[in-house]
Amino acid sequence: MTEPSETNDEAENQAVRDLVRRTLSNDALAKEAPDILRGVQRRIRIRSRGKFFADGWSTTQARHAYLLIALITLLLAATAYVVLVPVDVR
Amino acid sequence: MPSPDDPDRPRPAGAAAADEARLIERLVRRDEAAFNALVRTYERRVFALTARMMGSRAEAEDLAQEVFVQVFKTIGAFRGESKLSTWIYRIAINLSKNRSKYLRVRHTAQQEQLESLEERGPVAQRSGASMSPIERPDDLATGRQLENIVQAAILALEPGFRECLVLRDIEDLSYEEIGAITALPEGTVKSRIHRARAQLKELVERALGESIR
Repeated sequence: MTEPSETNDEAENQAVRDLVRRTLSNDALAKEAPDILRGVQRRIRIRSRGKFFADGWSTTQARHAYLLIALITLLLAATAYVVLVPVDVR
Repeated sequence: MPSPDDPDRPRPAGAAAADEARLIERLVRRDEAAFNALVRTYERRVFALTARMMGSRAEAEDLAQEVFVQVFKTIGAFRGESKLSTWIYRIAINLSKNRSKYLRVRHTAQQEQLESLEERGPVAQRSGASMSPIERPDDLATGRQLENIVQAAILALEPGFRECLVLRDIEDLSYEEIGAITALPEGTVKSRIHRARAQLKELVERALGESIR
């Protein structure tokens, strides 16, 4: 037979549990959750000095991007030269 | 309908274990796509857990990010003796406890500084320095107020009690899982939850001025 104090104890336990579950539901909190991934990638990128999650600009793994930018810049400079430099028509 | 990435989605135990083993293998190889998928799968649960442990959105976000950085750094040390989710939860709980401890020490130091300033002269009194929380008007709605009271009471619990209560009553984990996360025997987990509920009841009733039914 269950003692009355044990029954009370059990009921109190359940009441507290219900209160916590009712007031602090994770569903609402999860909906408001921020975007964690970008921050995590940034931290790993910084701490690994660009070895992981390279962003394409600040790391040595992005040499092809530097090369591309260099080529585009050269092309623009050449175009500007052709267009802007006066041509001797004599 | 549960999403395919939802870790709670029911799957045959063998298939789920095989999926997890494959994921861990990719993580150990530092596969960034696998890591992104892992963060997407667990970010909400980890954020919710750190938010309940810390009681501050900014701290929770910072800590949740740190949890995944730790996962990335130490995945090679994961021996597969528990589920991956249990291991991630363990990291989250340990980081939360360490951060709470750090903040408590810092808060005590600030409190001491404040008290010494108050002892020195009336400047602090005139500036209205106070450690009591200020209620915002939008928090006064009963539901929100009750949530704040319960959250504040949880934060007032000892960290060892708080973690067991949060994992059981909010995260809905089994005693066995909580034991695996906290490295405590099941009996200790049950006892801590019981005592945490008793303390919580007292704190909430004191704040509400009425008994919980």
